[in-house]
Amino acid sequence: MDKKNREKPRGLRAIRFLAALWCAKLTVPLLKITRHNGTNFPGEIAMKICPEFLRYLDKPARVLAVTGTNGKTTVTNLLCDTLTAAGHRVLSNRAGSNMYPGVATALLTGVNIFNRCSCDTAVLEIDERSSRLIFPHLTPEIMAITNLFRDSIMRNAHPQFIADFLTRYIPRGTKLVLNADDLISSAVAPENERVYFGIERMSTDVTECVNRLNDMRICPKCAGRLEYEYLRYHHIGRVRCADCGFESPAYDYAGADASLETMTVTVRDRGGEGRYGLISDSIFNIYNLVTAVAMLREYGMDHAEIQKYISQVKLVGTRHTDEEVNGVHVINQMAKGLNALACSRAFDYIASQPGEKEILLLMNCLSDERHWSENVCWLYDADFEFLADPSIHVIVTGPRGKDYFLRLKLAGVKDEQMDYVRDEFEAADKLYLRPGSSVFLLYGADDSLDLAFRVREKVLKLAKEAKR
Amino acid sequence: MKIELLYPEVCNLYGDLMNVEYLARSADAEVVRTGLKETPRFASEPVDLVYMGSTTERGQELARDALAPYLEALKKRADGGGVTLFTGNALEILGHHITDDDGTDIPMLGWFPLRAERHWLGRYNAMYLGKLEDMTVVAFKSQFGHSYPVGGELPAPLFETTRGAGLNPDLPGEGVRVGNLMATYLIGPLLVLNPPFAKYVLRLCGVRDPKLIFEREAVEAYEARVRDFTDPKRNFVY
Repeated sequence: MDKKNREKPRGLRAIRFLAALWCAKLTVPLLKITRHNGTNFPGEIAMKICPEFLRYLDKPARVLAVTGTNGKTTVTNLLCDTLTAAGHRVLSNRAGSNMYPGVATALLTGVNIFNRCSCDTAVLEIDERSSRLIFPHLTPEIMAITNLFRDSIMRNAHPQFIADFLTRYIPRGTKLVLNADDLISSAVAPENERVYFGIERMSTDVTECVNRLNDMRICPKCAGRLEYEYLRYHHIGRVRCADCGFESPAYDYAGADASLETMTVTVRDRGGEGRYGLISDSIFNIYNLVTAVAMLREYGMDHAEIQKYISQVKLVGTRHTDEEVNGVHVINQMAKGLNALACSRAFDYIASQPGEKEILLLMNCLSDERHWSENVCWLYDADFEFLADPSIHVIVTGPRGKDYFLRLKLAGVKDEQMDYVRDEFEAADKLYLRPGSSVFLLYGADDSLDLAFRVREKVLKLAKEAKR
Repeated sequence: MKIELLYPEVCNLYGDLMNVEYLARSADAEVVRTGLKETPRFASEPVDLVYMGSTTERGQELARDALAPYLEALKKRADGGGVTLFTGNALEILGHHITDDDGTDIPMLGWFPLRAERHWLGRYNAMYLGKLEDMTVVAFKSQFGHSYPVGGELPAPLFETTRGAGLNPDLPGEGVRVGNLMATYLIGPLLVLNPPFAKYVLRLCGVRDPKLIFEREAVEAYEARVRDFTDPKRNFVY
């Protein structure tokens, strides 16, 4: 491969590649004309015609990648928007999938019919398990791994499996930007050049885990007991082994003095420091911001430049939207069903918010329910216990509503704090919608998105019509 | 009642630990958590139930090493009718060995003549419907491979399979049972999902007329799942 991550096809392969490129490019306007979203389709067509399409495709001179369990979309968006605002011509798969066809589709939109790329930088979100198919054909210059947590039981098994998977497939030449506060992801691909980011002690830190999930309870070197110097949630924090002295890596990029009052955090490194506005008040998003700043510093931008452009970035609307109607905040919050960690973080965040809260749990995996029956084991890895609070009213609904109801009972949620209604739209009628309260609609990544936004319309209507 | 939870620092995947919490809260039982570097209680004192849950592949080797010195005590316990439950890939620790994707054989405790296959890119995800005596059992499997006999007599299965795979897709029996030692590939909150089986385990542990916490809600969810799993229109392997 050359410096641009491209291998030149020869002979019949060249003909096949060009046929794939032209066919795939032709589908782009056709999809627009027929009003199909199809963000994977051009890449799928290209791969069918030429299985090594990505290998031969011209790419931007600089390729940044982001992977990890949580936060990769947010970090990708931050990088993409900041670099674009700074005047770079950026390609990204942000509108499509983070698997091979989505990456191929994104990259082919950046080349002309002669396979010449007009962009200088690609920012690619990479699904962890798709690394096996993507990286043989593409070597990112710099790649962030945001974190590794438990995800879908069926697809990802457990985080150590994903860490081993990434170690096997990440190209040796890729420089890694790793989370020092996560001992699982920070140990990926130990032979690769690397820098670490993290967040220094915060006032909300603890030293004992209160979460059901903690996948780093023993020392990775000697299986001894790990002691947390500070712990944020699950296994995220700074540790030391009581038996052998093994400890978390030192920070090259340190988030410091994070303040939810001023909504700012300092990112400090050997070359200087900058004070950055937080994109939201969740610790998760502070990590996302620090990750993005570390990536941009590695890319070559200075703090002043990053500060200037990153401040203009907003979170994507499908992940978190907030609208106030008649004194009621209606908030759509992605919680990724089948993912105990993402739900636990969402529950913790909601419980920490002031005032009365109501939650409509819409995370049933509807695609699984159509063909099988959802594997509900993950419910018992998730911290539903955060919802056992008198200020919270929970409504469970959907095909697995009875499973959620039982789980909430076991979590200590009282009968008077919750309702079960099978139909998702009728469930909205159970909301109290009191002025000053917040209503959270929690939904999964893809299959309940449309449903969540339709239910949201009903909730907004009910809030508008509510008598005061 | 006393429940011993073996190696919770590594054997804690897929919500399996809720099995112990559920029984403990239902029967007001004491739970003893035994770490990898500790001596199991069952080796020296009466314990009503010993439990080990699903773990990582590294966790399997750590648990194997930790349990190896006490294997004879565990066998003696099974012979004496002591109740023991292993779920998920904890079952494989009791087998002869695991054959990894690259052909490497990883020795296990060798109690049962079973060889597990591990395929990193071939994870088996499925629903499971089976029987134990007159009870219907509904649960899930999510594993990197199945187990196969390696000579010698296989112990009796724990469950008779109605739909889904047994120890492997060609075997109708699921899990193994020796006395009151029960080991199954089924993962997660198996006892929460199956109130009849949870009460069965409590009865084996000596609880007379057991009552489960939130039993009505658990039975409603169980009955809904039995309806789903017996619906022939539903696929079974994800």
